[in-house]
Amino acid sequence: MSDFSCLVVEDSPMMRQLLVFALARIKRVVVTEAEDGVDALRKLASNRFDLIMTDINMPIMDGLKLVRRIRSDANHAQTPIIIITTEGSTEDRQRAMALGANAYITKPIQAPQVIQKVKELLKLP
Amino acid sequence: MTDDDRESRNSDLPADLKEERETFVRQFLRRGFEVTEEVLAESRALRQQLGAAREENAILRSHLASSDAIRDLVRKIDILEGERRELLTRGAELADSSKKSEERTNEVEQELHDLANLYIASSHLHATLSVRGVVRHMRELLQQLLGAERYAVYLLRENDIATVLVHEGLDEAPPVVVGEGAIGTAIATGKSRIVEGSPQPAGTLDSPLAVVPLRVRERVLGAIVVVSVFEQKERWAAVDHELLDLMGAQAGIALVSARLFANVSDARGLLVDLDSLLGGSTASVSAKSIPPAPPSSTPSSSPPSSAASAAPVRGDDV
Repeated sequence: MSDFSCLVVEDSPMMRQLLVFALARIKRVVVTEAEDGVDALRKLASNRFDLIMTDINMPIMDGLKLVRRIRSDANHAQTPIIIITTEGSTEDRQRAMALGANAYITKPIQAPQVIQKVKELLKLP
Repeated sequence: MTDDDRESRNSDLPADLKEERETFVRQFLRRGFEVTEEVLAESRALRQQLGAAREENAILRSHLASSDAIRDLVRKIDILEGERRELLTRGAELADSSKKSEERTNEVEQELHDLANLYIASSHLHATLSVRGVVRHMRELLQQLLGAERYAVYLLRENDIATVLVHEGLDEAPPVVVGEGAIGTAIATGKSRIVEGSPQPAGTLDSPLAVVPLRVRERVLGAIVVVSVFEQKERWAAVDHELLDLMGAQAGIALVSARLFANVSDARGLLVDLDSLLGGSTASVSAKSIPPAPPSSTPSSSPPSSAASAAPVRGDDV
């Protein structure tokens, strides 16, 4: 069985570490980190990912623009996307879902919640 | 006796006797015939009875055999029923055990996540030696890990006045007098004040959700104040208390370390007189020879080394 590759896009090193730690709890998941949307697009250009997890509020290129760019790329149009948002309001969440995100997680994140969402989208037991 | 003798004897008998003898003989023969017939009839009847008895015996034998089979089957059914009950009991026990195991796994996962939060918070607080970096990490901790929406960090500037170092989501954060109000009281007493509620009410600076003193050892340097949290955060989790405690205990140290380091041009210079602080050569120092730290010493009261008096280094360059 091949491993699943996940791209974590988050500008906060602390949050990124927390997400990587949570994903490391899932067997056969390999994580690649990106600091912002531009960095993520660079990595998406040369790699295929089974899942993308991105923050909404990021410098240079935010998560919404990234979701739009990913969905417009035929290579990644079907890749599941989980968005991470700090705001309790549903506005950003709804915009991201309308752009093609598959699921969302609100901060502060809980590792079990992250694991469950990722397993659902990767169809892991 | 020859035929002639018998003829001569019959001829000697009177006629009635002769007739009587013949009658007797006939009767005897007839009786013999009848007896024979009776015996034969009786023999046939007995044969029939024997056949019937054999048939009945065969039927009884087959009944007996089927009864044994039924008894065996019933016995097997009883055994299987017992095994089924035992399996059901074991199944229920296993399901219960599995449920408990799953609950325990979830608890362990949650504990692991909490520990990861604490580890990451602590490591990031001390991962930088720039004041700006420490403050940035404090903000990230408050926002990303604690879910603080409006918050402030106060520092004790003078003996009885604390002013805000950084704040978020607040129009203003006026100075507070030590000993007055929730923030001033926390700084004066060194005791945290965390309001529990579900859902968390929106607080104010006068009545915040949490005030945690920033401490360096026993000295209070200021306070972390959480006024409100994001609406999706319904209550403080156990790890939130731990995180607030950790920030209270370590953020102050990180700030002081970063501030001291900002005055140092060459980090190696700080370590030049390390031997003297340890009471000898570091190479020959044993654990027993390390003197205990002075109880009242604070980083701010410890003068920097002579090398530290050179031009300051921007902490962000570290």
